[in-house]
Amino acid sequence: MEYGSIERDIHVEASPEVVFEVVSRPEHMREWWPDDARFEAVAGAPGELVWRDGESGETTTVALAVVEVVPPKRFSFRWCFSEPDRGGDSLLVTFDLVPDGEGTRVRMTETGFREMGWEVAVLEEQYREHASAWEHYVPALGTYVARLVSAS
Amino acid sequence: MIDLLLAGGPGTATSLSERLPVTRQAVSKHLAVLDRVGLVHSAPAGRERRYHVDEAQLARAAAQLAAVGATWDARLRRIKRIAEAIERDRDNNQDRGNNQGG
Repeated sequence: MEYGSIERDIHVEASPEVVFEVVSRPEHMREWWPDDARFEAVAGAPGELVWRDGESGETTTVALAVVEVVPPKRFSFRWCFSEPDRGGDSLLVTFDLVPDGEGTRVRMTETGFREMGWEVAVLEEQYREHASAWEHYVPALGTYVARLVSAS
Repeated sequence: MIDLLLAGGPGTATSLSERLPVTRQAVSKHLAVLDRVGLVHSAPAGRERRYHVDEAQLARAAAQLAAVGATWDARLRRIKRIAEAIERDRDNNQDRGNNQGG
């Protein structure tokens, strides 16, 4: 298992073919993520995700690059490039679709946090190494700080 | 390990390994990684180093990780909703087609 990644599983009561369309077509993607999405679902194709500020109307455009298109099994793309023209480090988002009963198990993986910065990567490592949930850390943090304050 | 440092206060590789099912060497190696990335800081203590958690860095990193995970949870719930609506529409259309045929 790679550290510095985020993984999420969800069961969808729809066929892999339908789920594949929803995750890989721009007209569907803008219903579940950005305000607008422009790309061709073709390996290597460049694209853009657009967010529009509701009040000012200003838009933010983020570059995307399609990596893999394997209907109805896998769709992946890169975004959050550190350099212009889709260069440097980036985050890789992969959707893996597996038939699950009458529906589909969707596994989303986002990797590249280790390259983008240490904070999320290290926390993910900590998260996996300790059986305890994150809820434990925050209260512990409170008592730790309280002790520091009372000791000073 | 961070749990122990938070709950028990600053510690050395030896004091932490006494409370963990791993060797002092393993603890030491792990502490060095945490030190390098800034989640813990250390000061010399005899022949060892005494480590404490950088609580500000820890809180910031925890918030960052939680935020990324939460946004994906929300996106995946929307993907589920959209895909299931399309699937239901298709099933209904198919049923109508079958009824007309029969």
